[in-house]
Amino acid sequence: MSHTKLYTIIFGVLFVFATIQALVEQFISFEQSYWLAFGLIIALSVIKALLVAGYYQHLRWEPRSVSYLAGGGLLVALALTAAAAYSIV
Amino acid sequence: MSELPPKSSIRRWFLTTNHKDIGVLYLITALFFLLFGGLMAMLFRVELLSPAADFLGESGYNQAVSTHGLLMVFWFISPFAFGFANYVVPLQIGADDLAFPRLNALSYWLYLFSGLLFGVSFFQGTTFAGGWTMYAPLNTPAYMPGEALGATSVVLALIMFIAAVTLGSVNFLTTMYRMRAEGLRMRDLPIFSISINLTVWMMLFAFAALLAALMILSSDHILGTHYFSYAIDGETFATDADNPGSSMLWAHLFWFFGHPEVYIVFFPALGIMGECFQTFTGRRLVGRKWFIIAMVLVALQSFIVWMHHMFLTGINLNIKTIFMATTIGISLPFDLMVFSLIYTMIKGKVRFTTPFLFSLGALLLFILGGITGVFLGAVVLDYQFRGTYWVVAHFHYVMVAGATALFGGLYYWYPKITGKMYDEFLGKVHFAVYFIGFNLLYFPMFIAWETPRRVFNYPVELTIWHNLSTVGAFVLGASFLIMFYNMFVSYFRGEEVGDRPWEFATSAEWAVSSPPPLENFDGVPSYASGKLEFLDDEEVARRTGGQAGHAGTAADGGTGGAATDGGTASTDPAEAGTAGGTGLATAETALAAETGTAELTGHDEHASHASFWPFLISLGGFVLFLGLSGVRTGAMLYESLALVGGVVTFGSLVGMAQEPFYAPEPAIAERWPFENVEKMKLGMWTFLASDIVLFGAFIGSYAFIRFAYGWRAWEHELIPEAHVTFPGLVNTYLLLASSFAVVLAMVSAERESKWGVLASLGATFALGVGFLINKGIEWLHLFNLHGSEAFPHGWDLTTNLASSTFYLTTGLHGAHVVIGLLIVVYMFVRTWGGAYMGEEKPIEYFGLYWHLVDIVWLFLFPLFYIL
Repeated sequence: MSHTKLYTIIFGVLFVFATIQALVEQFISFEQSYWLAFGLIIALSVIKALLVAGYYQHLRWEPRSVSYLAGGGLLVALALTAAAAYSIV
Repeated sequence: MSELPPKSSIRRWFLTTNHKDIGVLYLITALFFLLFGGLMAMLFRVELLSPAADFLGESGYNQAVSTHGLLMVFWFISPFAFGFANYVVPLQIGADDLAFPRLNALSYWLYLFSGLLFGVSFFQGTTFAGGWTMYAPLNTPAYMPGEALGATSVVLALIMFIAAVTLGSVNFLTTMYRMRAEGLRMRDLPIFSISINLTVWMMLFAFAALLAALMILSSDHILGTHYFSYAIDGETFATDADNPGSSMLWAHLFWFFGHPEVYIVFFPALGIMGECFQTFTGRRLVGRKWFIIAMVLVALQSFIVWMHHMFLTGINLNIKTIFMATTIGISLPFDLMVFSLIYTMIKGKVRFTTPFLFSLGALLLFILGGITGVFLGAVVLDYQFRGTYWVVAHFHYVMVAGATALFGGLYYWYPKITGKMYDEFLGKVHFAVYFIGFNLLYFPMFIAWETPRRVFNYPVELTIWHNLSTVGAFVLGASFLIMFYNMFVSYFRGEEVGDRPWEFATSAEWAVSSPPPLENFDGVPSYASGKLEFLDDEEVARRTGGQAGHAGTAADGGTGGAATDGGTASTDPAEAGTAGGTGLATAETALAAETGTAELTGHDEHASHASFWPFLISLGGFVLFLGLSGVRTGAMLYESLALVGGVVTFGSLVGMAQEPFYAPEPAIAERWPFENVEKMKLGMWTFLASDIVLFGAFIGSYAFIRFAYGWRAWEHELIPEAHVTFPGLVNTYLLLASSFAVVLAMVSAERESKWGVLASLGATFALGVGFLINKGIEWLHLFNLHGSEAFPHGWDLTTNLASSTFYLTTGLHGAHVVIGLLIVVYMFVRTWGGAYMGEEKPIEYFGLYWHLVDIVWLFLFPLFYIL
């Protein structure tokens, strides 16, 4: 499969996932199952981000050290957010 | 590109991009800020002769204390260390210069102008007076007397300073991973270079968090957002606090940066101590491998200890306990390092030269500072000591111990930098007076520890100790007169030195003349044989198979062989190029501009060493920020300054992108673990890693405030019904499509299809503009919800917490889109002229940036539109 075809398929997947995110509220009641919907929507965002990073930014074909570099930044941001949020009484 | 004038010409110092010149500029400028910050200290030490505000007055005292802390921490210690790093690291690793010489010059000028902006703040009524930690809400204009324009200038000066730091971090990391001499494994780097490597890693991430905090704070100052306000629409914050997370948010962001900052300050000092202990005991550091492992551990642990600065705040007991354990844990690697240094002295034969005395003094002071710090890491003791002079004494014994080693470094490398030897006797006198003054100044603070911090009064019975401290401050200050005299006179009358004035110095800077030649080495340095050799062109050609840049790679195993992947690969001029944005010299635009011009064609072209643009960009940034500091007053002067500054900055960035500038990568080098990642791509990824932290901190701030407020209540109470999902979804489609278009542009460039590239870049531009227009329509609609019952005045930046976080976070993202679109325009024009055909790399580099902007939106969309 040529890269162009692969990039196009990924674009299609990203497009569909974005639409699903916007429609989640139609299928899952936020009043009753907010955190389920939250988990689903964020999980879709994570998958989309991995697709963009892995294929459009070519991390899949780069040396692993580049992924560690970007992942380091992400880890730092998540550590700050998680620990700070957890510290709230 | 300009020719580099001789050192005697004043023009040289405005034009130079050479790492040694920049190093000297950093050293001299940092010493100026030492005097500036020291003067502030003298002023408030005089104030503290008696427990009454009878010299500076209350406000004057607060300003002097605050600016002393900020100047010393930000504008003196680290830049002083980076003077040495600039001068020495390329020499130690066998490189001709840093990877991006113009970015290096830009870092310096941004640093200098940020300091000047700080200085200007004194003339805008009052400068910042809320302490160096800038705690909320005292860091916001609502809690400051007068117009608080000086305080805004200080906040903006810090942002400018961080731009310099980020560029420097990207530059040093790229250099150290792409330009090490053949056979020089990371673990074999001289200890000073290792310390700088770890320091810049910490800087890259820690300063990004502080940048987020300061951008948010400047928004509170200039745009009127409410991140750090206790009460938004209430009468008093005591009864109507509707932002329960405000001050805690600042504390988290600040100390997430602040604790790594302690090691950012101290690690270069440790590196110098390591160098001096080895050189002046004549033996290798005992347990060198473990010393390095301990430093790596500290660098990692530094990001998980920050809440020990917050034990007295309202964080929960569980998290306090966890952070007490991590804090005590971080002291253990330091124990190892201290014992390593002590055993090195025991095993070797000590030569008590001035650099060694300063290094030894630093070790002694640090031991006391470290031990007294362990007290503060224990929750129950911290309850007692927090907010007292115990803390003041402790951190000065740590931070100024670091500065002590840096002064040792100045004596250590003075002969290398100037080619002259300083006066050893005067050096020792300096050390003696310095050491006495230091302890006379800071040790009484332990005894008078019950003195409350940050205020001018104290119990009368402690007066004697404060008077002793003040005498010590003047003795310490006077010791620098000896140093400056020694340095100045020795420069003209000192004894000439050869390559290696220190008998047992072993690192590569001592293998070249003093001072070293412009491009450092006559041949190409190599450690492949196990010792330092200089290869001639023939040997380099032989090792690269006659094709520099296309040979195999060598791993960090030091197996020798050619390590050249991409060494002289072709990078088209100015491709990634334009930069700009809204006038702010952002790291990404500057990086793009720097890329731009390294035209590496493999022929025998001389490296460039001069550019006037870094100075001009920084000057423009200074004028722009000065304008922004007062733009909220609506005064014509400030608005004009902002406009002129923005134009100068933008024009200078474009000028830099257009300038031909040749910055070669070495033909053979050790590049683990980035063998197959060319210089520009590594630089871009390193920058993006810091941008991830910046966006992460913004999103984290939103999440934190929303948690503190009540996650679900937020949605019900603060967000209008008119704020719907649809505009966000449309923008998601637009941005995803624009990312896809950039990918197609890259593919078209690969296929050498000019019209394909033009069409794809045109589509990217149109989709990006569509994104901005859609956002603009949405914002205007929300600003003008006048029919709304809940939001009769509309829903703008100042309305409430939700609106503040929404507009600022998506606004930061929008600013990234604008910068990206400017680059797209630049690339479009270049494509029209025939660029990029078969040379798709610059489009790929731009794509890395653009796709990150896309990824960020993939999280902003659900967080701000759905959830």
